Amino acid sequence: MVVRKLLGKLWNRLVKRHELTVPGHYAQVQRVCQFVADGARRAGFGEDELFRIELCCDEAATNIIEHAYGGEGIGSITVSYQDKGDRFEIVLRDNGRSFDPTTVPAPPDLTTLPPDPQALPVGGFGLHLIKQLMDDVQFTFDARKGNRLRMVKQKP
Amino acid sequence: MTIWQKELDNQIWLVGVAGRLDQTLTPELEKTLNTLLTANQFRLIIDLSQTIYINSGGLRCLVAAWRRTHQQQGNLILFGLTPRLHEIFAMVGFDQVFTIVPTQQQAIQQFTAND
Repeated sequence: MVVRKLLGKLWNRLVKRHELTVPGHYAQVQRVCQFVADGARRAGFGEDELFRIELCCDEAATNIIEHAYGGEGIGSITVSYQDKGDRFEIVLRDNGRSFDPTTVPAPPDLTTLPPDPQALPVGGFGLHLIKQLMDDVQFTFDARKGNRLRMVKQKP
Repeated sequence: MTIWQKELDNQIWLVGVAGRLDQTLTPELEKTLNTLLTANQFRLIIDLSQTIYINSGGLRCLVAAWRRTHQQQGNLILFGLTPRLHEIFAMVGFDQVFTIVPTQQQAIQQFTAND
């Protein structure tokens, strides 16, 4: 276990991957966002893009707590980022139940819906935002390693 | 970082969000709006000019209150959105749902013009 952790750290350093693990609490979500935003700033993103990246990390981490773990304090969230030259890659991992956010249907197109207070959905917008704001979003589930959400943003 | 509220003329309430409309302030905004709605105040204006961030939880809170005002022939009007916030509202189609105006004065006029 210790050896595997050390090898993981060494590998991260070799591929210049930065990683942070936090407990699955809402109060930690902003820390996840800040960690990634700091890396994205160093990678050359401007303030508008940093806002969008931060929002995607916020939605992804919140979904892990809400859906993969089904509540706070159940498990941890590991976030990593990597500057890959032409793109910036963010990976969020958890050990909750399999939850594939990429299969969640988009909320209805509100521009074509009449503003009927009864018909207007109140949820499901987080994933829609991630898919809109990122250039690529992929999800994988492994029974041993858990959920892995990879989000990619092309660099300016 | 705070939520503030102020009663205006013509039974209109102004609620302001100064800071981040995420887990930090959304619970407090939800509480403030629920208190007003429970007191039968359905003419609400939200000042977002000092709101530096919003996530889907913040959007959810606003749309839930908007629904309740509309069920009672009222409205919840937003003003002062920064371009970044406006982009997020547009991405989920909320710019077509909410009445969004640039200034507080214009928000008040939306209510008083129909009186």
